[in-house]
Amino acid sequence: MDSAIGPESPKLTAATSGFVLAAAIAVLFNTALALAKDAYPPLNALMKSLTGHHWTTHGLVDLILFVVLGFIFMRTRMAEKIDPNRLIGVFIGAVITATLGLALWYAFV
Amino acid sequence: MNISSSDVILLAHAAFGVTGCMAALWVFVEALNARPGNAARMQTAALVAAVCMAAAWICGGYWYVHFYPPEKTLILKGPWPFAHNLFMETKEHLFFVTGILAFLLPIAAREKLYANPAARKLVLSVALLIAITGLAVEGAGAVINHGVKLAPLHDVSKGGR
Repeated sequence: MDSAIGPESPKLTAATSGFVLAAAIAVLFNTALALAKDAYPPLNALMKSLTGHHWTTHGLVDLILFVVLGFIFMRTRMAEKIDPNRLIGVFIGAVITATLGLALWYAFV
Repeated sequence: MNISSSDVILLAHAAFGVTGCMAALWVFVEALNARPGNAARMQTAALVAAVCMAAAWICGGYWYVHFYPPEKTLILKGPWPFAHNLFMETKEHLFFVTGILAFLLPIAAREKLYANPAARKLVLSVALLIAITGLAVEGAGAVINHGVKLAPLHDVSKGGR
């Protein structure tokens, strides 16, 4: 049996697991927002009106989401309850999905 | 010698980005050999990666917002419009992924990797993903630059016919 998944195996701290889950959600949100603003110009215009450029707003929203979700998950210890190996798998899957989603969208749409 | 502020900002963006990728690879190697003796060094490298990516984000963002629009026009009129439509569009959003991963790295690197296989696997994954996405973004920058360079050459060659 893999010692990393045994009940006695060390877990990630509340801060680490919280921010890993927050990062997984933030990168998927980043791709979803990029696709949404590309497909729906009024959203792009709204984002531009907030800071002067849609890209600036996009980056700020991503960062705020990552930090706020990270602190929420850390305080509630929600992500800490997830098996660390499962959490890492979800995180890697989220990054790959987000990256391929961006590349495929701009390549074919 | 005539070096504009646009050139300095653009080159600083690329330099910080590459340095951030190198720092992430440094973390990767330290994590492969995780032990109590190199924990502090790995945490320093993780912090260097995060600071460099933050600097690359600020420099790149400033350049993109203030100096890119005329270059975009050139690219779209040239023979390589995909340098903007595919490479810049992907790069400008993929960079946010690299940035978020870089900010996660110092948090994950605070774990005791030498005693925690899951934490070690996490740091290895985050560091490698930073290097891969960061270098992809760097490569896209080279394609965009070439798209700009080809546009006036394309005009000249068409005019010569």
